[in-house]
Amino acid sequence: MTGPSVDQRRESFEREALVHLDALYRVALRLTGNAADADDLVQETMLKAYRAWEQFELGTNAKGWLLTIMRHAFINEYRRRRRRPETVDVDAIEPFAVFENVQEEDPQGAFFDRIVDDEVLRAIDGLPDAFRETLMLSDVEGLSYQEIAKMLDVPVGTVKSRLFRARHLLQAKLYQYAVSMGYIRGKKE
Amino acid sequence: MNCHECLEHLYEYLDRELTPAVEVEMRAHFEDCDSCGEQADFERAFLKFVEARCRSQGAPAELKRKILRELLGE
Repeated sequence: MTGPSVDQRRESFEREALVHLDALYRVALRLTGNAADADDLVQETMLKAYRAWEQFELGTNAKGWLLTIMRHAFINEYRRRRRRPETVDVDAIEPFAVFENVQEEDPQGAFFDRIVDDEVLRAIDGLPDAFRETLMLSDVEGLSYQEIAKMLDVPVGTVKSRLFRARHLLQAKLYQYAVSMGYIRGKKE
Repeated sequence: MNCHECLEHLYEYLDRELTPAVEVEMRAHFEDCDSCGEQADFERAFLKFVEARCRSQGAPAELKRKILRELLGE
């Protein structure tokens, strides 16, 4: 018996894996913090994935599989030279319920629409590592709690609480920015 | 379901992580409680906003070319 031909292998890799290139790059940028490292990390991930392509089960979640490979590559080779060490105790951060502050003035959160991409990405980059990663995987890439828990090797409850805190922290940052820019009056403390 | 329970499960509801039975309870609560309903709309808008802002970014065309050329080119 012979395996699939080189052409078939290449074709299935392009169809199943390469379509997730944008997702990999978005997450890589947030993990590494710069475009050059993100480029390298994505290339390395694709190389590893292509070599291991026989191990991928067609019909399962290719995006999750690729993100897992990338995460391992990142931990092994990039994390230690990342731009700053993690110093925040992620469980000590108090979430901030922005809705209560805008309920009267802007209950639909229209002020968010005035905040540009770069400002949002900057705020996400300011989140502690564990929060940023969980938020990207869930809110941008659409992975389920279970998929994220498996990938990060943490209980589902941890994913849930990180997401809760990450979202409220991000909201708080963006709210404070919107108040400082005069997009919204905000609630005086 | 009271407001406290509803808000505690709000993100799970928006993330479609609850069982259908609890989803029904959540929706029933939103019908009865304007404040929780408004907060659900606010959080939903926020999540859509984050996704849209982040998704506007994709891999550079050159990176894609490089991968196609170097990885799959042979």
